[in-house]
Amino acid sequence: MNSKLFQNWGRLVLGVLSIAVVLLSYTLVTIQPDNNPALLPPIPDIIGAFFTNITRGALFDALGASLYRISMGFLIGTSCALILGFLIGWYKTIEYIFDPLIEAVRPIPPLAYIPIVIIWFGIEEFSRVLLISIACFMVCVVNVIAGMKNVPKVYVDAASTMGATRFQIFRTVAIPAATPFIFTGLRVALAAAWTTLVAAELIAAPNGLGFLLQEGRRYFLTDQVMMIIVIIGACAFTMDRIFRIVQARLTRWSEARE
Amino acid sequence: MSKIVVEKLSHTFGKGTDDALTVLDDINLSFESGSFNVIVGTSGCGKSTLLKMMAGLYQPSDGKITLDGETIEGTGRKRGMVFQQDAVFPWMTVARNISYGPRLRGASKKECAEVERKWIELVGLTGFENRWPRELSGGMRKRVDIGRVYANDPDVLLMDEPFGALDAQTKERMQTELQELWQVTGKTVIFVTHDLEEAIFLADRVVVLSARPGRVSHIEDIRLDRPRTNEIRLSEDLLAIKRRLWDLLEH
Repeated sequence: MNSKLFQNWGRLVLGVLSIAVVLLSYTLVTIQPDNNPALLPPIPDIIGAFFTNITRGALFDALGASLYRISMGFLIGTSCALILGFLIGWYKTIEYIFDPLIEAVRPIPPLAYIPIVIIWFGIEEFSRVLLISIACFMVCVVNVIAGMKNVPKVYVDAASTMGATRFQIFRTVAIPAATPFIFTGLRVALAAAWTTLVAAELIAAPNGLGFLLQEGRRYFLTDQVMMIIVIIGACAFTMDRIFRIVQARLTRWSEARE
Repeated sequence: MSKIVVEKLSHTFGKGTDDALTVLDDINLSFESGSFNVIVGTSGCGKSTLLKMMAGLYQPSDGKITLDGETIEGTGRKRGMVFQQDAVFPWMTVARNISYGPRLRGASKKECAEVERKWIELVGLTGFENRWPRELSGGMRKRVDIGRVYANDPDVLLMDEPFGALDAQTKERMQTELQELWQVTGKTVIFVTHDLEEAIFLADRVVVLSARPGRVSHIEDIRLDRPRTNEIRLSEDLLAIKRRLWDLLEH
């Protein structure tokens, strides 16, 4: 057995083991006679809540609503971030115009916009998508700009001495050289989308995963709350994995980081 | 014909300020079409700056450089450049790197394939067409770099210590191969290095720059027979020139 394979196996075993230890400890606590299931619901109850919410149709509705908001917000936010980031990172004049604005707005947590968005646009679907878009845009644009600014000068010089125009250099050198940064930007945007989604839905939404969380709290359905937390974790994890696979495909040229 | 002429060129960084630094002072040079020229000098003599000015990456503060009578302003495909650093695009395969120049000008698939085949063979990378640059050694990447510039069909090749980062054996092999490429293509080459043996081995003419500010202190015509082989590196003729130039660099 070669050492790399062994390393991969060792990693898998340890990973499974660590999750198993957490689940086991949790179970050990919940089977104590004086455990209050309203605070710490046993694992079978959490699984039960999963099936209850599937049969009553609530889970898939919520999942659908939330995934729709995430996708829309992510698409709008990251598209704007890519376009603006490319321009800011490549054209000095545009940088001088937008950079102070972005720097001033960047430290504001996206959730701070919730009240103003509600005041302006009400508790509508648009408001929730807008909030997620803002969050995605902010974290993504910074990475795209960094990617464009970190294009090694020697590549730009090489292309230019071969007769490339400024726009050709932008298209054939700057964007490919920035892809690793761009992917980092997209992945943090996805994480930001989930954070903002749940917060937005907790405050104001007639459906969605955040709504089910809120409902669980109101009616003391702790098992439902726990179940939704696990679902959110699983969704975010799966999406991130899919991203990594796409990233690995598109950046095969860069040093493997396995 | 592709002759580069440097006329009364001086360059001062931060001209007009208190800490102005003159790096090149009254340089007058003329590089004949088809010749192999090497500029040597200790580090800081401005030889690399001079070369980048020929490429059009910098503008000199005084004087001018012309290619066939036309003043050089900005970069252009007639003046190809091989850099000291690794400039091979890591996101393109070897073949795509080679045909980068023709593709910029909208060459057809067939033309690109033709260019790729020709230059990959000439720089000795057959079999590596579809590899990523990261899968190649430093010497092989330099071959891609040189092949890419040649495939772009410039009139003049500017080379800024292209073999500086390579190990001694690879460096010698690359020098021999570069000499062969030059003999096949007959393009004007201006090559910058601080390695005297490399300079004498390759050049028709060695230009010695003095340091701070850079001035032309000596021009040496090298009349060693071509093609030059590795034996010539240890010949008395080469060593005699090397000793003489070495003394010039010291002063």
